Amino acid sequence: MNIDRRAVFFLMSGGLSLLLLALCPPDLRWVGWVLAIVFVILALGSWIDHVQRRDRRRRRP
Amino acid sequence: MATLLVFAVVAIALVFDFVNGFHDAANSIATVVATRVLKPWQAVLWAAFWNFIAFAVLPMKVANEIAKIVDSNVVSVGLIFAGLMGAVFWNVLTAYLGLPSSSSHALIGGVVGAGIAKSGGHVVDLDMLRKTTAFIFYSPLMGLALAFILIIAVMWIVHRARNRRRVNRTFRTLQLVSAAAFSLGHGANDAQKTMGIIALLLVGANRLDANALHQADGIPLWVVLSCHGAIALGTMLGGWRIVRTMGTKLTRLQPMGGVCAESAAAATLFFASYNGIPVSTTHTITGAIVGVGSAERMSAVRWNVARRVVWAWVLTIPGAAGVAMLTYWLVAMLR
Repeated sequence: MNIDRRAVFFLMSGGLSLLLLALCPPDLRWVGWVLAIVFVILALGSWIDHVQRRDRRRRRP
Repeated sequence: MATLLVFAVVAIALVFDFVNGFHDAANSIATVVATRVLKPWQAVLWAAFWNFIAFAVLPMKVANEIAKIVDSNVVSVGLIFAGLMGAVFWNVLTAYLGLPSSSSHALIGGVVGAGIAKSGGHVVDLDMLRKTTAFIFYSPLMGLALAFILIIAVMWIVHRARNRRRVNRTFRTLQLVSAAAFSLGHGANDAQKTMGIIALLLVGANRLDANALHQADGIPLWVVLSCHGAIALGTMLGGWRIVRTMGTKLTRLQPMGGVCAESAAAATLFFASYNGIPVSTTHTITGAIVGVGSAERMSAVRWNVARRVVWAWVLTIPGAAGVAMLTYWLVAMLR
């Protein structure tokens, strides 16, 4: 199966951002939340780009 | 005799700051040198200038935070000496191995280790240590995300440009600005760590009132100027082994990528400096370079190098703390 490694990497980065919330002082927790959301959006964007490229390659004669 | 000892430990702290410049500040110019925008000697002069004037531009919050990492009531000249020795040993070891570890975290680890060796874990400000540990990972992640978004936005803007050479020229010029911004952030965040440690030492030696650690302008001007001067001097002499690792081994950069990586890292450092968070410039620029590289393709990033870098980050605080503990016990035994 052709997996988008970049999307997986971004998802893992988002997961790490969430895990680190436990260490963050309350006034800076928003940094972890924002990073996690940004990484999920980047993962989604990367995955869409990956699927589009794959489809384009398949359509080529 | 006591004054002489304080003077000697301040001198060691300034040498550490100088080595920090030599070891860490080289990262400020890695991308400029890698993309051949400036010759190495021009790049180090450029970075050193911005390192030095950082104190006039950004707030002193990091110094105040660092000075609180160990309870000032237990601080002694021996404790700061042991902390510095732990950090120096760790820096020398990682520089020898060509690993871009963080001098800042080595310093924090060293002082924490010496504090624990002297009076136990309760003297360490755990909130501060937790915040620092969280931002060991948050700072490169912020750099990575910002750099990735920036390079995608820039690529989207310039992809229709017909004159590629002109685009390249524009970004080569812009890289001077981004390198300056990054050096400014580096000067502010890194020089302030040594400032905080010297301030803590002065409090421990009864040369400074403990309340000064909580005031924005409480640190004496001679400490501010000497720390920024030492880091700028270190930058001028450069750490070429690490420039090579950061600029060419992780991923190859073009001027456009260099601008995005440095701008993203500079923004992260400004954020950290304004919030009093001691972060590593090395960690931040590494994350930003990986962000730019992964926008191209994941295989553009040399993951085996990145893995070694991350291990160096994880081991820095405990490694430096361990050496500092041993040094403190050795100093106590020799007394």
